[in-house]
Amino acid sequence: MYFLFKQNPVVVAGSVIAVGSLLLALLSRFIVDPNLWQVENLGQRLCWNNPAFSWPVSNVYNCSGASYPLGTDSYGRNVLQMIILAIPLDLEISLTIVILATIVGVALGSLAAYAGGKIDELILRITDVFFALPALVLAIVVMVVLGRTLQNLTIAVLITWWPYYVRLIRSQVLSEKERPYVEALRSTGASPLRILFLHILPNTIYPVIVQMTLDIGGVILTFSALMFLGFSPNPLLPELGNLVTDGISYVFTAPWLIIFPGLTIVIIVLGFNLLGDGIRDILDPRLRR
Amino acid sequence: MKLYEYAIRRMFLLVFILLVISLIVFYMARGALPPEYSLAPYITPRMTDSQKLNLAQSLGVATAVCPSYQAFTSHLPGCEAPLWGQYVDWLELVLKGDWGYSQLPGLQGTAKTWDVFSARFPYTAQIAIVSAILTFLIAFPMGIISATHNNKLPDHASRITALVGYSLPTYWFGYMLQIIFVLYLAIQGKGLFPSSGALSTDCAICFSSPGVIPAITGLPLLDSLLSGNMPYFWDGFVSLILPALTLSLGTMAALTRIVRSSMMEALRQDYILLARSKGLRERIVVYRHALRNAMLPAITVSGLIFAGLLGGVVLVETVFAYPGIGQAIVSASLVVDINFLELYVLVTAVILVVSNLCVDMIYAVLDPRIRY
Repeated sequence: MYFLFKQNPVVVAGSVIAVGSLLLALLSRFIVDPNLWQVENLGQRLCWNNPAFSWPVSNVYNCSGASYPLGTDSYGRNVLQMIILAIPLDLEISLTIVILATIVGVALGSLAAYAGGKIDELILRITDVFFALPALVLAIVVMVVLGRTLQNLTIAVLITWWPYYVRLIRSQVLSEKERPYVEALRSTGASPLRILFLHILPNTIYPVIVQMTLDIGGVILTFSALMFLGFSPNPLLPELGNLVTDGISYVFTAPWLIIFPGLTIVIIVLGFNLLGDGIRDILDPRLRR
Repeated sequence: MKLYEYAIRRMFLLVFILLVISLIVFYMARGALPPEYSLAPYITPRMTDSQKLNLAQSLGVATAVCPSYQAFTSHLPGCEAPLWGQYVDWLELVLKGDWGYSQLPGLQGTAKTWDVFSARFPYTAQIAIVSAILTFLIAFPMGIISATHNNKLPDHASRITALVGYSLPTYWFGYMLQIIFVLYLAIQGKGLFPSSGALSTDCAICFSSPGVIPAITGLPLLDSLLSGNMPYFWDGFVSLILPALTLSLGTMAALTRIVRSSMMEALRQDYILLARSKGLRERIVVYRHALRNAMLPAITVSGLIFAGLLGGVVLVETVFAYPGIGQAIVSASLVVDINFLELYVLVTAVILVVSNLCVDMIYAVLDPRIRY
């Protein structure tokens, strides 16, 4: 373990955070009652009540008794509990989007590269349209027509995300299909689909895995940004971006409402970014020197 | 293919992209509007101005807003048209430059969409330009130092900064800066940065009254500097610092990593070995021989940087209540202001596609090996 850390501290740190957040997500329903987020306790609004850390702000209620390590929000809910409830939601949505985007990307990207010609041109022009707008703007436009539910938000982010995978996989397959082993396979009479799915794709999948790892964080950022911009289905919903939004009106009176949910996003995203960066270094030793 | 032929082909592609985007947005926005809801900024595309006015008056609406779809379908040609026909009508009007009346909250029907947009656009432009300058000014030195001090302290520091940089949610970072600078400095009695807006209140009033600042370039900050209005310049400048810093963080992080890797790639080449063996000073080797070649990959990603900045302004302007188009787009999407959405999306697309084209052109000029 020590050797591994010495060899590549980045990837170890990244995987510890990533695996840790996944574990926390799986266990969260056992740590905190999953229905707790709907409970409002207006007697405990904006309590800080943490003996270890005091914040020089006004308007904080004095709630004696139980201590709230990260304070309570404007609905009287424990911020720490809300964060623990929010982590599985964010990770689930993020994983769904990344996996679906990869499936669409692999299908269309490899089709474009392998078929070439008109099909390639058509798929590329479609992705051009998507690349002409920043992802966030595109997601906002999609949300205009979709109702504000979690499912529709997932769809909106997914719509902005798949073209990147099409481009990535297309370029990978293009360079791979000129390799001698593909020609050898073709001369043995292997079918194009067999060559593509059993030989070319397994050889080109590593950059995709790196990109997927990096994108888990990226999707959480985009998704929570949409929540922040006001596309949240329910202001009470424990989602990290939504929790930050809750605190906006109290940014100078109860800053912990913004600080800690945001910090959770930073840690999770950083973990997956470190992991992806580390995997890339391991797979591409050229960059390590 | 010659370079200019390539450019012309790309411009045709831009027209195609704009048509597709406007069609998608139009269908989506129309689909989102229930029929009995406000139809569009226009009563109907085929009506004359006097007809519009008559209708508006007969309905008791002061301005040309179409309040009810069903009320019009009986006697108005444009309203019964299928969605496709409505799009064609809409396109015709827009190509003539008529963007109708704004549907934004507080402005319903009182201001032209185009005027609202063009009043807000300079603020977004100035925040994006300052952020772009900041991005390049910080990312290049950091990337170069990180490459020349590979695997030493500066490299690790810049690597961590960059990774943290693109792991931070933009909006959260904006609030953190507010908490740190505005709240903390205010407690210390040194309030320097305003937490929101493009100007402090008294200056905002001066700015909005015409004639105080002459429109030279259109950018409020630059205009106040050029006309020598230092108090206003300083006020606008100070309120720009935190938003620009927030906006440039993500792009800065990305560019730093790219400059680092392309710089390292360049430093490994044979001509660097030759330059070093000639006995050239390290400064000249790094800045004159390696940097010039390392610039190319960094330039190619500038397109991505523009995309990042244009997407980020939406968040930054919301956080800092900066009166640009990014702040308005959120409310435009909530009230389904078709024309503002279209205008925003099309302008963004033009900026992105044209800047990508410029990047490609610069690349081709700088690197004669590139052929299109």
